[in-house]
Amino acid sequence: MTGQPRLRTRQAAESVAQALTGHEQIDELDEAEFTIIPARPLDEPGRYGRTISFPSRLTMLIVIIALLPLLIFGGVLIAGRVIDADGGLRVLLVAAAVTFVLALIGGHAASTSLTAPLRGIAAAVERVGAGDPSSPILVPGADAFARLAASHDRLAGDIERRDRELGEVLSSVETASPRDGVERFAERAARGAAVSFGLIDARIILGPPDETPLAERTLGQPTTVRAEVRAGTERLGVVIGRLPAMRRWERADQALLDLFAREIGVALRNAQLFAQVEAQYVQLRRLGEAKDDFLRGVTHNLQTPLTTIRAQANQLAQANQLAGADQRGQPFGEADRRLAIIAEQADRLTRMVQQMLLVSRLESGPLRPRSDVLALGQRVRRAWEAFGVRDRQMRLTDGSSGWLAIGDADHLDQVLWALLDNAVKYGAGPITVEIGVDEARGHLRLKMSDHGPGISEEDGARLFRRFVRGPAGRMSDGSGLGLYVSRELMRGMGGDLVLEAPAVGRGAAFSLELPAEHATEA
Amino acid sequence: MTIGAGSAAAQSTAPRILIVDDDPGLVGLLAEQLVGDGFEVQSARDGDEALLRLRDGWPDLLIVDLMMPGMDGLTLAREVKARADLPIIVLSAIDAGDSKADLLEEFAEDYVSKPYHYPELRARIHRVLRRLAERVPRQSLPLGPALSLELHQRRAIVDGMPVQLTPTESRLLYALAANLGRTVTTESLLARGWADTDEADPSYVWVTMRRLRQKIEADPNRPVHLLTMRGIGYRLVREPEPMV
Repeated sequence: MTGQPRLRTRQAAESVAQALTGHEQIDELDEAEFTIIPARPLDEPGRYGRTISFPSRLTMLIVIIALLPLLIFGGVLIAGRVIDADGGLRVLLVAAAVTFVLALIGGHAASTSLTAPLRGIAAAVERVGAGDPSSPILVPGADAFARLAASHDRLAGDIERRDRELGEVLSSVETASPRDGVERFAERAARGAAVSFGLIDARIILGPPDETPLAERTLGQPTTVRAEVRAGTERLGVVIGRLPAMRRWERADQALLDLFAREIGVALRNAQLFAQVEAQYVQLRRLGEAKDDFLRGVTHNLQTPLTTIRAQANQLAQANQLAGADQRGQPFGEADRRLAIIAEQADRLTRMVQQMLLVSRLESGPLRPRSDVLALGQRVRRAWEAFGVRDRQMRLTDGSSGWLAIGDADHLDQVLWALLDNAVKYGAGPITVEIGVDEARGHLRLKMSDHGPGISEEDGARLFRRFVRGPAGRMSDGSGLGLYVSRELMRGMGGDLVLEAPAVGRGAAFSLELPAEHATEA
Repeated sequence: MTIGAGSAAAQSTAPRILIVDDDPGLVGLLAEQLVGDGFEVQSARDGDEALLRLRDGWPDLLIVDLMMPGMDGLTLAREVKARADLPIIVLSAIDAGDSKADLLEEFAEDYVSKPYHYPELRARIHRVLRRLAERVPRQSLPLGPALSLELHQRRAIVDGMPVQLTPTESRLLYALAANLGRTVTTESLLARGWADTDEADPSYVWVTMRRLRQKIEADPNRPVHLLTMRGIGYRLVREPEPMV
């Protein structure tokens, strides 16, 4: 509140000037001396230009008043020849000199005693200007000076009260938290206003201020005071308070109330915005939960029949194996092949559903992978077997003996499946998998490459985005989520997945890494 | 629906399993598979029916689906655990990333996601049943001034701070806590921590033990609770009382 001291000084100056000009008995006092620099001591006349100071003028007046009758009287006596002109003139001059000296001394003494209270008032005004309105001026009696002193004391009291009010206003604004909600905040602010301004009660009415009618004034009844609550140019409402009938309400009080209303307006706006954000957050969380529920339901409804299909196919294949051959003596080769396809396709569909589920999980928050101990090579072999591709080859070189990867088995399976799926769909020839150890970093590194046409750098840049499916024009039946999900999964486990730069002699190559540990007894 | 085990001799000793799932196709098939492996199987279509069946007698194990009409699997698991410490395996389509997975682990001994792989499920059933013989308090197990285990919540309290354990870690600690102060061989820890289908070897146990020490020991290189019996196995001990 940097504007406040200035406001206070201006008020003081105005009030002093008003008080002084309001009293005719001391209208010799130059108004300018108070309104321009009211806190300056009076006994520095030179500062006020060429005008002769009040004590000098008073002294001069007294000298003139003392000398004039004497000189007139002497002059008449001499002119009327009542006394001898020669001797009389000498006596008159001596008397005039004595009177002049006496009048000068008396005048000075009188003017000093007359201006003493003024100096006291000036010093007090100066103290008020410096921020100490508490010490009163003691001027006995009921004359103009005493009234001036009293009016100064009242002014100082007002300033002190407004200072206190301002302090209370500010602290009531400061203690208000936007978390309390708009209604409670307005309620608290109104209570703060009532206490700060000494009102009977106060309330804040939200809505266009023009719709709140102005109350009529009735003498002897509490007066209504009001101020618009604004935030910037937006009019939020109005604060209305009832003032005790005996209480004065001046421009400065209104200025303070306006200031209060402005501060409250800004804070109120914040509270409104906060409430809005809060409501949106709650709604988002509800939506998130609803989405979770929905996905859980969809997954359940898709996975349950898939589970049955897969298990029934397996069961049938097992029964066939036990029977060995059908009644006509034919081996079940063809039927087994078909059953295997049913099981594989069910698995495939299952993985797709899991992938979709993972994508939506990635959107709603970080994954929480488990950190299991895994043999990476074994995991790759199992994933390939489960993949069930008969017409392609997978060559695994496992150089990670003595090391075990740390990661989430389910998540790793998802990644391996996506990479193998990618290599089968877009690549050609045998799929090469090499596993090595980065001992310095404590990581296992797996590189999977094929002998297909590879992936250009241009395509590589967009490959890890969502819903992107391999090089343009080579549409396949994937969801376009595999690599995006895979990378997120690997990063979630503290690893990574990258596309290797194109190289001669091989097609596309992906590298993944995972944290690992020594497989030694500990 | 009760599907008896194959032979009369097996009936008295066969572990009894109650399957709770609303999908009759799946229940029928799973029951068939389990009976084929010598279990005695009952089934219930929802949570209420399951609680009714529990009145007639306790099975050795419950297999519960999470998503069911009426009382869901989580509520059922809570209800069951409030009555008796029955082992529960949850068979459901939710994954570990689901917000409900954490809640689940408090009540379920194990979790198998749909579509399940039967040999995997069977291996886990055996593993859970093996654990039955051992009794470890479901409350806190204090092991020293700075360590206590809360295995039913899959966590350890280290220096007053909870440390989350993975399912494998808590399974190993469970086996060790059941034999507090005695050595448990690496082989039996391996059988407890991993299913037969995991193709795990002793190095899995070693690495998991090292990681466990990092979680629960003040100085993992100088363990005071989780001790190695080189070439044999591991032992969980209470911290010796300080000499007065």
